[in-house]
Amino acid sequence: MSADALGGALLATAAVVAAAWAAGAAACAALVPRGRRAERIGWGFAAGTAILAAGTGAAYSAALGSPAIGPILLAAVAAGLGRRFALGDDPVGTLRGPGGRLAAVTAALAAVALYGLIVYAARALAEPLWPNDYFAIWGMKAKTFFAERAIPLRLFTWPSFEFSNPGYPLGLPLLYAGIASILGRWEDHALALLFPCWLAATLAVLYGWLRRRGAPPTVAAAAGAAVACFAPLYAAPLTGMAEAPLAFALLLLGTALADAMDETDPGARRRLALAAAVAAGTKNEGLFVAGIAALLLAAAAFVGRDRAAARRAALALIVPAVACALLHRLAVGSHPVRGIDLAYLKRPDLGDRLAEALRATWTVHLRSSWLPIAACLVLLLAGRSVAHGNRLLLLGGLGAATYLFLPALCPYGPLWLVTWTQGRNFASLAPLLAAAVAARLAALPRGGAAPLSATAGVVT
Amino acid sequence: MTERNGDGARRKAAIACAAALLALLVAAGRPEKLPGRARLLRHYATRPLAVRRLGSSSSAFDRRFFFFLESARLKLPPGTRGVAVFAPPSEQARNVVAYQFAPLPALVAPPTVPGGWVAAIYGPVRPAGWRHVADVSDGALMTPP
Repeated sequence: MSADALGGALLATAAVVAAAWAAGAAACAALVPRGRRAERIGWGFAAGTAILAAGTGAAYSAALGSPAIGPILLAAVAAGLGRRFALGDDPVGTLRGPGGRLAAVTAALAAVALYGLIVYAARALAEPLWPNDYFAIWGMKAKTFFAERAIPLRLFTWPSFEFSNPGYPLGLPLLYAGIASILGRWEDHALALLFPCWLAATLAVLYGWLRRRGAPPTVAAAAGAAVACFAPLYAAPLTGMAEAPLAFALLLLGTALADAMDETDPGARRRLALAAAVAAGTKNEGLFVAGIAALLLAAAAFVGRDRAAARRAALALIVPAVACALLHRLAVGSHPVRGIDLAYLKRPDLGDRLAEALRATWTVHLRSSWLPIAACLVLLLAGRSVAHGNRLLLLGGLGAATYLFLPALCPYGPLWLVTWTQGRNFASLAPLLAAAVAARLAALPRGGAAPLSATAGVVT
Repeated sequence: MTERNGDGARRKAAIACAAALLALLVAAGRPEKLPGRARLLRHYATRPLAVRRLGSSSSAFDRRFFFFLESARLKLPPGTRGVAVFAPPSEQARNVVAYQFAPLPALVAPPTVPGGWVAAIYGPVRPAGWRHVADVSDGALMTPP
């Protein structure tokens, strides 16, 4: 067997990821109430990867001899903060599982979710990271950072490298480079291990949040099974790119937003702050959806029932998102977003371009998927209006509406953006929208006067 | 929350739609491809990264080109500041070249070769007057006069 065979590299990468995950989980003692194991696991991965990426970026900025020192120091600080500001038990109390026939259905749905996770792992790990955009954007930057132990400005200022989208956030390249720095070598096959971990963390947060917000295990497991088997997002051609991490970040953002507006627990605003930083640091779309969330909070701060809660949540959201965007600009300068030109907003043919964009969206994405889309709409309409679910729905819906409109502003023509970007953007909203639909379904009464959520056996 | 008229029908519609959606999603995941992926993984798992990359989807558009790039990368003279790859230009080639040679800057068919850069020429044609640096698989490393 070759000395640089996949097995050893996978084990080493798994060890680094597991250590970061454990450090993140320790920090999450200050974010997620005690007793919410699934959510702590999911948020722990978010915190762990954020520690790796931010620590690596800090080490580069401070020109530390070994970039691995950055994440290690940051992990120690984060774990210390987690211990110092640890939360108590969840005010919701203990959640009981279902009994009888429902337990069997829940177990079957959990098996489907596990199957989806295994299939995605097989897709992701079958070969070294290979998507075109991985080479051009995420991978090239990460490989360069790792080798140069720095963020070289030429990547962002050289016109010949404009194709690498210099304006994209650096969270993902820094994460890749951080893992490689700790391993001491570049192994872009073993890095694929991160992707099933992102899915696992997404499922943990989705299930945990739905349960905490009163959904029965069957509904929460069904939402998890649907997300785990969502191949347009968890696909081989997207492995290595930012869509799966972004989908995770948007789910974190939406659930934390709903929790912070309701002030469900003392960790809600902390989670919102971490989610905003992760979303803004992963992809421009993450910063954009954080902006939509800020607008929702601003509206709630003026006309909502609990205006003070909305103001506090807005502060928790805006500060880290803006700090992330500012840090990027300070480090590598300001760059226009390729593929979008706001000057098209003033053009007289904007209406025609929008019509062309909608036609292209129908032809390229929607026509072939009308059946699952129709099923999703029926599920959405079958549920009942519930505040926390509606917030997620509004956030995801406004994001989707914007993705419908944006191709009209594409200088290469609406079809270009619809073909190359729009489908991925829609797909990255899937976990967020699945949580919204499941929350609404969970509000349906289950015979008599008992809502479906009552079958979860919430004991306060 | 109280039971309203139609909640029973909503519940039944939701269960039917959820089951149908889940079946559609599972089928769309192409489970029949799973054994092939497992075979691919087993076949390449013991090989070095470059061989795994050579056998992967990333080099499928032109595996000889990838072999040429890897061969050129290994034979770059010390002190090389960048690589100009002369090959049929395409988006895929541009991206693979940029990634393969990173952290060195690398471009496909730039109008001029900057000082300190090495030209990697893909194919049998050699520019007249350029200095030969090394032969590589399916090409050569050269520097302009």
